[in-house]
Amino acid sequence: MSLCVLENVKKRYLIGEEEVEVLKGINLQVEQGEFIAIMGPSGSGKTTLMNILGCLDVPSSGSYVIAGKEVTQLNDDELSVLRNEHIGFVFQNFYLLSYATVLENVLLPTLYMERSRDGFTRKRAKEILGLVGLSDRAKFKPNQLSGGQQQRVAIARALINDPDLILADEPTGQLDSKTASEIMDLLSKMNQRGKTVVVITHDANTAAYARRTVRILDGLIVD
Amino acid sequence: MGRLGRILRQSVMAVRAFKLRTLFCVVSVALGISSITIIVAATEGAFKKAFDMVALFGPDALLVVSGSDEARAIGKREKTLTLEDVQAVKEAFPGAYVVAPSTSMGDVTVAYRDKKYQSLVVGSTSDFSRAWTWPVVEGSDFTDADIRGLRNVAILGSHVVEELFAKEDPVGKYLFVKGIPVQVVGVLSDRGTTPTGQNLDNRLIMPISTVMRKMQNERKYISVFRVRFVDQKKLSRYEEEVRLLLRQRHQLPEGVPDDFRIISPKEIIKFLAALTGSLVVFLGIVGVISLVVAGFVLANLFLLSVKERSKEIGIRRSVGARRNDIRLQFLGEAVTLTTIGGLIGFVSAIGGSRLLTLIADFPIHFSWKAFAVGLLLSWFVGIAFGLQPASRAANLEPIEAIRT
Ligand SMILES: Nc1ncnc2c1ncn2[C@@H]1O[C@H](COP(=O)(O)OP(=O)(O)OP(=O)(O)O)[C@@H](O)[C@H]1O
Ligand SMILES: [Mg+2]
Repeated sequence: MSLCVLENVKKRYLIGEEEVEVLKGINLQVEQGEFIAIMGPSGSGKTTLMNILGCLDVPSSGSYVIAGKEVTQLNDDELSVLRNEHIGFVFQNFYLLSYATVLENVLLPTLYMERSRDGFTRKRAKEILGLVGLSDRAKFKPNQLSGGQQQRVAIARALINDPDLILADEPTGQLDSKTASEIMDLLSKMNQRGKTVVVITHDANTAAYARRTVRILDGLIVD
Repeated sequence: MGRLGRILRQSVMAVRAFKLRTLFCVVSVALGISSITIIVAATEGAFKKAFDMVALFGPDALLVVSGSDEARAIGKREKTLTLEDVQAVKEAFPGAYVVAPSTSMGDVTVAYRDKKYQSLVVGSTSDFSRAWTWPVVEGSDFTDADIRGLRNVAILGSHVVEELFAKEDPVGKYLFVKGIPVQVVGVLSDRGTTPTGQNLDNRLIMPISTVMRKMQNERKYISVFRVRFVDQKKLSRYEEEVRLLLRQRHQLPEGVPDDFRIISPKEIIKFLAALTGSLVVFLGIVGVISLVVAGFVLANLFLLSVKERSKEIGIRRSVGARRNDIRLQFLGEAVTLTTIGGLIGFVSAIGGSRLLTLIADFPIHFSWKAFAVGLLLSWFVGIAFGLQPASRAANLEPIEAIRT
């Protein structure tokens, strides 16, 4: 069964008086365990698509089913729960809470779980920090870390709730090529462990890690 | 820890992180809460004091004082009440269990050996202790024979004893009052000072007959008399009846003011309310204004904070925070801040009231009530003024929040 199924998804934004169609009828299936790169020029609608895939936003029309749920039928709270349980985001600018420690940042998604066992989640957070190679940085603040380290924290945060889908929007955009390849290696490793990964990128080197590349142009998937 | 607890811990974390915001909010709330706490404490203090004073005065008692209000106002001490008036009241009110006349002389020199003391000499009947609920702790009260026999005996206030008798037992000793030898028969318990600062323990009580005949050359007029009634609830009615009886006896035509004054527990409370009232009103205005100001400071700083932290809100939403979780967090921050402000306000109110009592003898009483009022108000301010910014944070669309 597919993890994500998009059928004729359109997204329109109102800019002033004018309505602009950013996604013009996307059809896409993401299978469990896939590693997909979404490529396309700036302004083509990649981030918009990712927001919809990640249930941060909903389609203006069309249908999107994730984990068996039709997203257009869900209310705001249900979307939040869906994000919490099924999706992990990795952003270009890391987006860590500056006043929280590395460990607290990693634990952030567990705060909003319905049921959370403190001891268990802390143990799990430490394991995951080990996995991304930051065991000795748990008490640090984000501004005491390098860009690559911050992005690892973000990846650890994306993994903590054991989501089905990891969505990464330009995860290497702020990093030099060596650090970028480390981050992509990490995402590949997660994919090998069974996570479905979708990476949005401009960069062919980054896209090369994926097993499938989807090209988007002006709001439509091409070829 | 449950979800609620986990989110409120985030609130506390943010309160610690945004120090400048915390400082401004806490200080402004503390100012408001401390003046309101002082008001509550002052009101309570006034009530307590009124209660104490009424208890001291006797909740079932009236004090009838010689002289019209006008005469008193210009400092004249005319004596208008007579022993016959006292007798008439005694006969007219079977419900009065004490009717005790008394007369007084200020600044009387009392000497024991080489020591001298300026005392207030009070002439009273054998009912003095009962009339004033003022126990004789050493020796004994007067007997009727002391009164009838115009005996030269005295009961001393505790301060008189301190001043004249260092370590000696005063009972049985002789001292000179206006040159007349008088034997001490008893000592009164400590009574302290009145709210107006008058020392009550500086007096010396002698039989009223002795004082009138031997010291004042007086056979008829007295200064005051006390009446105590069995049925305390009817006191207002008794007061009016005593007034009418005395007016009739003094043959005062209608329209002429009383040539005496009746003091009742009600009047004491009125006096105290007037004393406390103006300060309470002043502090009340200050308190309410500063609390409202604190509320607006809080609301504005929070709106600013919500704007600055929209990315944080977006991040939290993206990892699964619901609108209510965001609202709860920001509301939690506001209430945490105002609670800290309230606690600091309470502590500084205690300090402030110390200062206040240094400047003026002002009854202030801190209790859990003042504390609870302050705490509840600080929560109220936190919720009332924090709700709008918190809701604004909650209503941010996740993608808008994260894009900014
Ligand atoms: N919330 C919004 N309101 C209005 N217009 C929007 C909104 N979000 C995106 N757009 C517009 O939609 C178009 C696609 O934006 P999107 O961010 O998806 O592009 P992108 O492919 O991610 O570009 P980039 O590579 O530069 O990140 C742009 O023209 C953008 O201005
Ligand atoms: Mg983009």
